[in-house]
Amino acid sequence: MLPLISIVLATLALGTVGTFAAGTRARWVALGTSALFLAEVGLLFAGFTGWPGYSGTLVPGFSYTETHPWISLAWMHIDYAVGVDGISLIFVLLTAILQIATVVYSWGETQRPAGYFGLVMLTCLGCVGVFVALDILLFFLFWELVLVPMFFLIGYWGGPNRRYAALKFFIYTHVASIVMLVGLLALVFYSGATSFDFASVYAAARGLAPVVQTFLFLALFFGFAVKFPIVPFHTWLPDAHVEAPTGGSVLLAGLLLKLGGYGLIRWAVEVLPSGLHSVQPLLFLIAFLSIFWGSVLSLAQRDLKRLVAYSSINHMGIVLLAIALDSSLGLLAAVLLMFAHGVVSGLLFMASGSVHHQYGTRDIASLGGITPGAPALSTMIMAGGLASLGLPALIGFPAEFTAFLATWNGLGYWVLIPLSVLVVTAAFYLWMMQRMLFGETKGGPPDAHGLPWYESAGMGLLVALTVLFGVLPSLLVNVIVNSPIKGWPGT
Amino acid sequence: MTFSSFAAPFAPEIVLLAGTLLIFALDVLKVRRIEITGGIAVAATLAGIALVVADLGFAPLAFLATIPAAQIDALPAAGAAPLYAVTSLGLVFQAIFLLAAFFVALGSTSRPSDERGASIFFGLLLLATLGMLLVAIASDLIFLLLAIEVTSIASYLMVAYTRTDARGVEAAMKFFIIGALSTVLSFFGASLLFGAYGTTNLYLIRAAGTAVGYPTLVLLGYGFLFAGLAFKVTLVPFHAWAVDVYDGAPHDVSAFLAGGTKKMGIFAFFLVFLGPVLAVDAVGQSGYGLFGGSLALGPSFQLALGVIAVLTMSVGNALALLQKEMKRMLAYSSISQAGYMMIGITIGSAPALGGATLQVLAHALMKTGAFLVVSAVAALGVGPLIEDYRGLGTRRPLLGAAFALMLLSLAGVPLTIGFVSKFVLFSAAVRAQGWFLWLAVAGLLNSAISVFYYARVLKAMYFDPSPVPDPALAGAVVGGAGPPALPVGGLGYGRAAAIALIAGLIVLFGIDPQLVLGPIQAAAYHFVAAGA
Repeated sequence: MLPLISIVLATLALGTVGTFAAGTRARWVALGTSALFLAEVGLLFAGFTGWPGYSGTLVPGFSYTETHPWISLAWMHIDYAVGVDGISLIFVLLTAILQIATVVYSWGETQRPAGYFGLVMLTCLGCVGVFVALDILLFFLFWELVLVPMFFLIGYWGGPNRRYAALKFFIYTHVASIVMLVGLLALVFYSGATSFDFASVYAAARGLAPVVQTFLFLALFFGFAVKFPIVPFHTWLPDAHVEAPTGGSVLLAGLLLKLGGYGLIRWAVEVLPSGLHSVQPLLFLIAFLSIFWGSVLSLAQRDLKRLVAYSSINHMGIVLLAIALDSSLGLLAAVLLMFAHGVVSGLLFMASGSVHHQYGTRDIASLGGITPGAPALSTMIMAGGLASLGLPALIGFPAEFTAFLATWNGLGYWVLIPLSVLVVTAAFYLWMMQRMLFGETKGGPPDAHGLPWYESAGMGLLVALTVLFGVLPSLLVNVIVNSPIKGWPGT
Repeated sequence: MTFSSFAAPFAPEIVLLAGTLLIFALDVLKVRRIEITGGIAVAATLAGIALVVADLGFAPLAFLATIPAAQIDALPAAGAAPLYAVTSLGLVFQAIFLLAAFFVALGSTSRPSDERGASIFFGLLLLATLGMLLVAIASDLIFLLLAIEVTSIASYLMVAYTRTDARGVEAAMKFFIIGALSTVLSFFGASLLFGAYGTTNLYLIRAAGTAVGYPTLVLLGYGFLFAGLAFKVTLVPFHAWAVDVYDGAPHDVSAFLAGGTKKMGIFAFFLVFLGPVLAVDAVGQSGYGLFGGSLALGPSFQLALGVIAVLTMSVGNALALLQKEMKRMLAYSSISQAGYMMIGITIGSAPALGGATLQVLAHALMKTGAFLVVSAVAALGVGPLIEDYRGLGTRRPLLGAAFALMLLSLAGVPLTIGFVSKFVLFSAAVRAQGWFLWLAVAGLLNSAISVFYYARVLKAMYFDPSPVPDPALAGAVVGGAGPPALPVGGLGYGRAAAIALIAGLIVLFGIDPQLVLGPIQAAAYHFVAAGA
């Protein structure tokens, strides 16, 4: 069998190098790489049992696994070990979608395009690596790799306050990674695992005392929580988002935030069940805080991009809640939510970028009635906003519905807290749309050239997927459940 | 004993000595062209690397091996007091020293060819390296301290060799005075040990320690030795001189001091406090006490070392944060890196020792490279402040990328050797369990702090607008006034090659660490097993 995952990683790595070297033709190389990557992800799906429908023959663990010795010492065995289960595969798909959408959307980038597109490729390489790594060091390596291109994307192509935002982003997430690294190392050495491989760590961690598991879980959780981001570790996010270029924001919200959730599921929840069990109340508290605070802060924002950024905190709070439930339905909901958020927030960040290009401002109050002048853009904003607030038949609905169902199953009437916040979420999106899209025209005429074709195409792709997966969420669910998660058919 | 069997362990030393004498002789004959003297230095260090690597068992170079494999890591006969003993870890250190010297020599061939004393510089470079090679095979305290003196005296002269720069002379004076103090302390410590045990041989000292115990005299002796060596390694609180010296010395000399000679002190630490003196479980599951299990003071001595390690990295980092000048920032970061290496010595297990050795290699590459870049950038007419580097990354993309890579490696970003070395070192600390875990935590938090000042340089290089007119461009393009522009965009062939090679090695060892980690770990196991 072809080592498909290595081929995917090699495609992205070569694509990155090629894009950096391509000069003014960088966007073509980037587009070619993205298209090839998407095709390879298609092959991954085609060979993955359970796609496109529930077939009964499920995958008992990881598929496409490859293991090659990498560092081998008397006391430390580290492999190049990769593989996917349903959860990782969904996130690889998300990466491919967002990569190609970002490349198309940014087609008009004129400021050092080779650097810009090269860094976009590198970010995606890092994200895919995180999603497929089955070895602790490999996982951490890709995890850290993501930081560097994002640092440069924000710091060079970003807004007026970009230098501060880039440094803050780098330092916050790097400190978190380092605490996580201590946790991961302790996980290996305290459990007595024979190697850094997922399977061996997974097996060895069962023997850890609950107290040790709790401390390890907390260390890992801290690392993942900053990436998530969860209140009170969220303050880097608005700065980074607002200053990042649109493509950077899309990748940041769509992919980087997912690294936290994915890491939590893969390396903490699955590996340290007693740890999760003992910190569950704390996680619920933090999740409720994030849901509430993210929503309230969104309501107060005047800047469209900032509003979307804060709503991410709210959504990620729901993801944490779903993960913390420690139920099979909860994990399914968490993965669905993250996928949905990836697509929808990507769309919304693109839309706010386009608003900025067209009107020279993102200030909601100074914009109004843009629908007659820019009907296409207005449609995109509507689609994103409605999907984000959870309108049925769009991708947000099945995800949120599953999450609240799982919360009801696990926590009973506590579900009223996130549900009532949902009203606020709906309110700030509807209010935003009402002020910006309808009513009296404010903020001057749009840019004379109208919405460029590539920006429409990038957003159009995401809108189409929002509808597709909103109508047919089973396309995703049937893949996700093919994972070695307790209580899922994939085990 | 025939001459050839006597000379065999000294093959690289003989090559360096021949190079030194040749350069000095040519100087007397007024042959001072930098292409010739620099060429000799480059060739001698390169030949030395080949010889050492061959002795380490690198198959393609096996025909160069001079030392029979049985003699490496062999314990001396009972009661014998050899002056030197070849250990594989010593060979690894020799390779690192030679590598640093090679890069400095290669980079320095791009110095202005009419520079005063340039040929003497290369001679001194080889002489200093010779002393370092001797340190790596010492098994006697007097031999060890004399070898350190060879290096020290050569490096005092190197700091001041231009003789025109008042700052350089001041730095040399400071360096000399502190160095003399350090020598006095070390020899005094050695004399106390001799007084207690009647020998200066490290193997016999270890045997006597096990048999006789550790009277107060010995503890005092170790204390003085520690202080003397701590000056060389720039441990807090013996660090203050380093920044002024690195700052005032010519850039290429700073590269050698930070990347090369400092590491000699680390190996001296291994020898005096770990090597033959130490009994460690070969697997080294956890720290087994610096003086084996027999010394009641062992664990508390270890605790003291741990505290000094944490102090060194924290103080170095905190002060690096405050620096405005590039060289001073690099100097303080160099102090903090010494703290990481001390983690390995504190734990004393084979994995930790291997981690420290890898950190030494990583730091030799990164710091030598960083100072060579500073040297290159200064030759382009850019000022010494961090803010003078604004816009460098976009105006000089390749040089900027190489410097960025070195800084990222220093910060410990993956896919660089700087990440691997810290990863192995901190893994060893976590694995040792007990309070050693907190060494790993302290080290990791410190490397998080260090990211801030490295990232600040990246920010200046890439995000901040260039000053107008841009000196980094003027140096290469105008070229009319002042010295003629050097090839490779004003860098010169040697410097460009050295920087490119270092950058390549940083990435190569970052992606495939097994290349160096395998031999280093094997050597570390032999080293602690030889002491058991």
